Amino acid sequence: MSTTFIVLKKELVDIFRDRRTTFLSIAVGPLLTPALLIGIMVLANSRGRDAETKPLDLPVAGAEYAPSLITWLKGNNVNVKPPPDDIDSAVRAQEEDVVLRISPEFPTAWRAGTPALVEIISDHSRREQIEVPVSRLEALLAGYDRQLGALRLVARGVAPSVMTPLAIARRDVSTPESRMGLILAFFPYLLILSGFVGGSSLATDATAGERERQSLEPLLANPVSRAAIMSGKIAAVCTFSLISQVVTLVAMKIGFAVTPSEAIGMTVDISWVVIVKLLLITSTLIVFGSSLITLLAATAKSVKEAGSYLVVLVMMPMIPTLALMVSPVKNQLWQFAVPFLAQNQMIMKVVRGESMSAVEWAVGLGTNAAVAAVTWVIASRLYQREQLAISA
Amino acid sequence: MLLVTNLHKTFKTRTGPVTAVDAVSFEARDGQITGLLGPNGAGKTTTLRMLYTLMSPENGSVKVDELDVAVDPTAARRRLGVLPDARGVYKRLTARENIAYFGRLHGLDEATIARRTTELAKALGMEDVLDRQTEGFSQGQRTKTAIARALVHDPRNVLLDEPTNGLDVMTTRGLREFLKHLRSEGRCVLLSSHIMQEVAALCDRIVIIARGRVVAQGTPDELRAQYAEASLEDAFVKAIGSDEGMTA
Repeated sequence: MSTTFIVLKKELVDIFRDRRTTFLSIAVGPLLTPALLIGIMVLANSRGRDAETKPLDLPVAGAEYAPSLITWLKGNNVNVKPPPDDIDSAVRAQEEDVVLRISPEFPTAWRAGTPALVEIISDHSRREQIEVPVSRLEALLAGYDRQLGALRLVARGVAPSVMTPLAIARRDVSTPESRMGLILAFFPYLLILSGFVGGSSLATDATAGERERQSLEPLLANPVSRAAIMSGKIAAVCTFSLISQVVTLVAMKIGFAVTPSEAIGMTVDISWVVIVKLLLITSTLIVFGSSLITLLAATAKSVKEAGSYLVVLVMMPMIPTLALMVSPVKNQLWQFAVPFLAQNQMIMKVVRGESMSAVEWAVGLGTNAAVAAVTWVIASRLYQREQLAISA
Repeated sequence: MLLVTNLHKTFKTRTGPVTAVDAVSFEARDGQITGLLGPNGAGKTTTLRMLYTLMSPENGSVKVDELDVAVDPTAARRRLGVLPDARGVYKRLTARENIAYFGRLHGLDEATIARRTTELAKALGMEDVLDRQTEGFSQGQRTKTAIARALVHDPRNVLLDEPTNGLDVMTTRGLREFLKHLRSEGRCVLLSSHIMQEVAALCDRIVIIARGRVVAQGTPDELRAQYAEASLEDAFVKAIGSDEGMTA
């Protein structure tokens, strides 16, 4: 058995005996990820559905000027309420999502056959929350408008169809799309993060922990190279991380398979091919993250200090993901060479079922494998430094 | 057989360089127990660390059985069994697994590891705890585990840094018998201690270190004669120029 393999085996046996740490890293974390994702989707979907089917609460000012409009609204699942005293500030204070104001001139204009003014008052800086009620109200008013217009034309002996030279059909794909956008923004980040820091508990235990337990010095007194010992530790961290990543993906697959598609408003089928591709994409990140954490933890004087490095490391994968959320950029080849950004783009493509060119695969995997290899080599040489080899 | 010639080691600190080991030379022969005696901070641990190649000296050489540790540190470590000052064991592994881990790193096969583990457990009197996880071991049980794993590869030369530190009287007596047993097998045993009585009870040769320098060396009789003192204790005090370490 080579030194690296002996160390790898020992570190894995050691960490798996620590039931609580193993349970948290291999079971709880990876199972929580799909639960979180699916939970958010179910929530978003039911909220969206509620907003569309629930009676619309609508404060109306000047309801007395347009009784027939009010009757029409009430007949269309609208719950007409008296208006707040100060409409603008009530809307701004988010007490009401949308308020309808009927102008006092409404009856006059109505009788004259000229357009009668109705105002939809809402706060457009709250786009997300008001989108559904405002569009529902707009659609209702437009329907009333069309119906009344048609009746007036008929009364004057004109066919209402002259008013509609265009037959506009609208297919609303915005709702499923926006929900898909939610997982698309979330999914790569969760995978990248779990791959990157998935082995952190083992990495700190095997390096900073080894120093703290005073067992590093006897270990280095063995007739083996320090680089081989370090490599064994990194390999153990990678293995641990990989196990947690596989559990995450399989849990994700099972989670989506058992969740009824109407609960999340779509069918998500994660095939085994997709899982293998996702593992391949995150594998370079697993090696990079495992080497980097091991490197940092090995320079730390204690487990506590190593833990504080981890807080910073968790932020790293967020940077490209957040940048992409704020300003989405089109796919370009250079992005496949940047760690985190590369995985983000590749995971997106795989999940969306888009094809990737051989060049994109090669750049995405090649450059990231190189980054991982360099980090590994630097980390493996760390114990060559005399002051790091000494325990106390 | 260990041959130490003119070792130097300086540490950089914030207040400037500190010389920890200054021109230390001595010899530890096969079939003898050699004691490195000196007060705390005299440079014993640093000297031993250079012997087992954890640190490299700025000057001077260390030879293990004629083998220069600077030339081939791995081969030198193969001939050494080391109980360092830091002697942590893996808590979630059993004593047997702790020993086997080091055996495998020495390239031993499983049968040899099993045989050596049985031999060492018997000699150290730790058969009853061999298959227990070392979590919750007493200081003595931990030290025994650390010694067993250090000797699993049957080394000719044995280095022990303060081996009886923190051990009770009975365990210390047992350990002394074990070291004498190693000597009777013809091994070269080098141990460090700050306790004069311990070195006097055990060692064939004594090397007294103070402030990084060797201030005296020889057999207990030679040292008594050298300082014209009837007791070794007085000779020690005279040699290091203070009575540090006498109260232990």
